[in-house]
Amino acid sequence: SAALAANQYHQADIEDNEFAEFEDFDDEGEVIEDDSDGSIEDQPKVKVMMAPEAEEATGSSDDVTVEDDEDEFDHFQDEDEFEGFDKERPLRSKAGDKPQELKITPVPLHLRTKWDNFHLEMLLLAGVAVYVLNFLAGKSKNSRLAQNWFTHHKALLESQFALVGDDGTSTEPQSGVLMKDYENAYSLWCSGRVCCDGMLVTLKLLKRQDLVSTISRFFKPASDQIIIKVDLAVDELEKFVFCVANKKVASKMQKDLVDLSSFTELKKVVADKLPPSLHLLNEVTEASSTVMDSKFVQTMAKYESLIEYIHISDQYSGAKPTDDSQEAKIEPSPALLACFNLPSKGPGAGDMTLVEPLMKLIFHILNRLPHIHLSREAREKTRKNRSRMQELVQKAAHTQRAEAAQIRKEERKRAEKDRIMAETDPEKQRRLEEKSNKKDARKKQPKMKTMKVKMS
Amino acid sequence: MKMAPNSTDDPRRPIKVHRFKAPAGGGPAEDITHEYMNLLGMIFSMCGLMMKMKWCGWSALFCAFISFSNSRSSEDPKQILSAFMLSFSAIVMAYLHNPQPMSPPWS
Repeated sequence: SAALAANQYHQADIEDNEFAEFEDFDDEGEVIEDDSDGSIEDQPKVKVMMAPEAEEATGSSDDVTVEDDEDEFDHFQDEDEFEGFDKERPLRSKAGDKPQELKITPVPLHLRTKWDNFHLEMLLLAGVAVYVLNFLAGKSKNSRLAQNWFTHHKALLESQFALVGDDGTSTEPQSGVLMKDYENAYSLWCSGRVCCDGMLVTLKLLKRQDLVSTISRFFKPASDQIIIKVDLAVDELEKFVFCVANKKVASKMQKDLVDLSSFTELKKVVADKLPPSLHLLNEVTEASSTVMDSKFVQTMAKYESLIEYIHISDQYSGAKPTDDSQEAKIEPSPALLACFNLPSKGPGAGDMTLVEPLMKLIFHILNRLPHIHLSREAREKTRKNRSRMQELVQKAAHTQRAEAAQIRKEERKRAEKDRIMAETDPEKQRRLEEKSNKKDARKKQPKMKTMKVKMS
Repeated sequence: MKMAPNSTDDPRRPIKVHRFKAPAGGGPAEDITHEYMNLLGMIFSMCGLMMKMKWCGWSALFCAFISFSNSRSSEDPKQILSAFMLSFSAIVMAYLHNPQPMSPPWS
């Protein structure tokens, strides 16, 4: 009854108030709360007092009753609205029924992703396949090239060396073994020849087996290389350093290699003897003129493009160690080194026989080395160079030893101080401190020699 | 080993034969690509395994291939086999975790 009174009161002032519909909204709320008789049936029929203008909108003059849930969703049962909707099936089971048992149809894991969605995976697998195919092709090509070089040069090598192709593993020296270091690097050891201990030929071919380096070769062209290192016998040879190098690598070699940087000067133009693309790094002009005889000059002129460097030195000790202390110094030893480039494009591509005349030139130089005799001045100059170098090396070693000793001394002093500080007993601590102070003081004192004179 | 007579122009000296000793420094063709690629492959496969990223697994597989093709012939196969196994397991774990096809980075 209180609710009805509240309604009449609101009814009166609805006409002159534009926000009537909002206020009605509040009334509805109040009406529910104020319902004092507390008998809320199961499906409450709530009376909603609509504002007059709202009533015209809905077209029904009497009060609007809230429909039951069932009728409200009638339009869901409209057959022409939804295809395949069968009317007989009850839309919702009555409250009391057993809940419908949930039937989960087994859905395969990849229902949504079919195999042809994996574009990128297929691309990557194709990449892997291409890499493997290129690996096999490159590997077989490299081994064919190496074998081809070896069979072609075997006769020449066997005429020069007593032992050709030893791999050093078996007890009895073998022959004819081309060692494989990498897929693109093979090496051959020959020994047993006058004035040399042995010759190591390394075939440093292109990395045909690695797709990445094959691609990078499009940008930075490279070529197969044959690197020859002959260990010369110590006693039989004159002492000098000589190097003919391609202009691209000449200055770099002079910077990197120890013996070239300390003994030789770079000469860019050697008029009658070397083609323009080859520079000379030389110590004694006498030595270079005797080494560069007519055969040498002809071969240089003819095979100019194949030559990377030819380096003869009695003080060869490899490249400068990047960090002195880290790499053990290699003992300088006399050696003849040569590196030839094989054309990777053009007519001679892949033809390993091109290098034969250059190999013959190496043996020609080897035969001439013992016959090179320097004049007294030249010999004096080289001896002076070497002694100067010796002093430099010893000085460097000396400073290194001094630094190491200094570091050790400081560490010892620090350790002693730590021991004193760590000492808990103040009495002992004081005594230790006194002892170390006395020792320091004694060290600082000027050294006086005490002489004992026997009074006879 | 043919024993040759010591005639004047024959340079061969069988008595001066020295056996081959592998140069300590690793020889002229010392190659570092193998170690770097191996390390990179290990890092990629760790990322692939832990963060389940598919492209990490795939790049680990490629690194394993590159380090295999640049490795020394005298290299023991265990290290290369472990690189392959690790990268393969990274790929499998990534796809088990999320079987969706890998979305290309540009899409």
